[in-house]
Amino acid sequence: MTDTQDRVAVERELRSMIAEAARLEEAVVAELPAGTDLFGPEIGLTSLAGVTLLGAVDKRYGVDVAALDLSLDSLQSIATLTDFVATHLQSH
Amino acid sequence: MSGTDGFDPGEVKCVVWDLDGTLWDEIAVESATDELPTPRPGTLAAIDALAAHGVLSSIASRSAPSVLDRLDAVPEVRRRFLAPQVSWQDKSESLRRIAKDLGIAVDALLLVDDSPYERAEVEALLPGVRTLAPEDVPALLAAFEGRETTPESRARVHRYRTEETRRAESERFQGSREEFLRWCDMRLTVGAATADEVPRALELAARTHRLNSSGLTPDRLRELVSSDGHELYTARMTDRFGEYGIIGAALVDRTGRSGRAGTTTWSVPLLALSCRVAGRGAAAAFLFRLMQRAREAGAEEFRVTLRPTDANLEMRILLRQAGLRRTDDTDPAIATAADSAVLGRTLQGDLPRPPAWLRVSDREEAEE
Repeated sequence: MTDTQDRVAVERELRSMIAEAARLEEAVVAELPAGTDLFGPEIGLTSLAGVTLLGAVDKRYGVDVAALDLSLDSLQSIATLTDFVATHLQSH
Repeated sequence: MSGTDGFDPGEVKCVVWDLDGTLWDEIAVESATDELPTPRPGTLAAIDALAAHGVLSSIASRSAPSVLDRLDAVPEVRRRFLAPQVSWQDKSESLRRIAKDLGIAVDALLLVDDSPYERAEVEALLPGVRTLAPEDVPALLAAFEGRETTPESRARVHRYRTEETRRAESERFQGSREEFLRWCDMRLTVGAATADEVPRALELAARTHRLNSSGLTPDRLRELVSSDGHELYTARMTDRFGEYGIIGAALVDRTGRSGRAGTTTWSVPLLALSCRVAGRGAAAAFLFRLMQRAREAGAEEFRVTLRPTDANLEMRILLRQAGLRRTDDTDPAIATAADSAVLGRTLQGDLPRPPAWLRVSDREEAEE
């Protein structure tokens, strides 16, 4: 697989993990623009849901966002989290 | 761990009692009638004495589950226990379930059991749990003698019971999660702490981990609370099931004039919230209201000291949700330890809003 394909696959999976953590319909999150804020009104991630999400990301990809990103800059939008995970996947 | 050597009463949140041979002398399933054996008066007195110190009691009995139904018929005994487990499963498994139901760490449990086998099983599978024989109970009580009790710690057993009722209602509720949360009629009030609230704030600083920003010690917090320019804020919560008391504390340092020259800053060296009300937006609502109050008081910047630990990821995400980002601040006035970071944000523009189901007010206005 090329890097671009990797990234597309990661984004698709992350959208479904975000939906699960935030208790939203998977189909709804799948349709949101990649720049949608995780803490904004559409997704409305809470701190507790965020813990679930980062746990799922670590389990699925072995990327421990909490340890790698002190101020959690990657938790801005679907796109920034995807970039962060895809980048750290490659360095494995 | 067995016995009371090196015992730190502060580490125990719940004592788990065996039934047969511990709470009462007989073996319940072997009684000829449906009547339960009579509990030992000394043991009931010990449970009540522990409750006065904020220590909960539960049950782990290896027996027929029907014994629990029979216990339900004796409310004056049953009401003393939370999340009781009566089944044939291993006690270590019962203890895990109790910790999960109460939302506390397994290591915060202590087992009292007359059976050396059961104590050994728990010690082997849950090495962080202390176990005692019934004859050790007086030593257990002695360890609590002379410890400060706060109104919150005395009311803790009652509040956990309220929480059990809430959970049972929540399982029965027909409707969306948000409808349920609205129906709960949650109210949060935020205000400057009164003198009698300080012990509870110190207790929160000591007992919270998941929602604790900096791990500031109670001693240091006590010191800072009484120093110039510092103020302690607390959050209290109620819902239709009852009062939760003080569920959050924040120390605010208003002496900071960092960042851009002359900018007034509210710095928060410690933000600590109880996990008891987790998942209902109370932590976020408290933090957002503090930001609002900082702005009303004329501050332009809001800062929180963060010391990341293995346990406080939820707090870190909460701070991120509130828009607090890493500052490269090196002002010695808010010098921090090497493992800490100062997160900050401007108070201009829109501030985040609490969830719609939570009514937040300033205590000063709520009391009018």
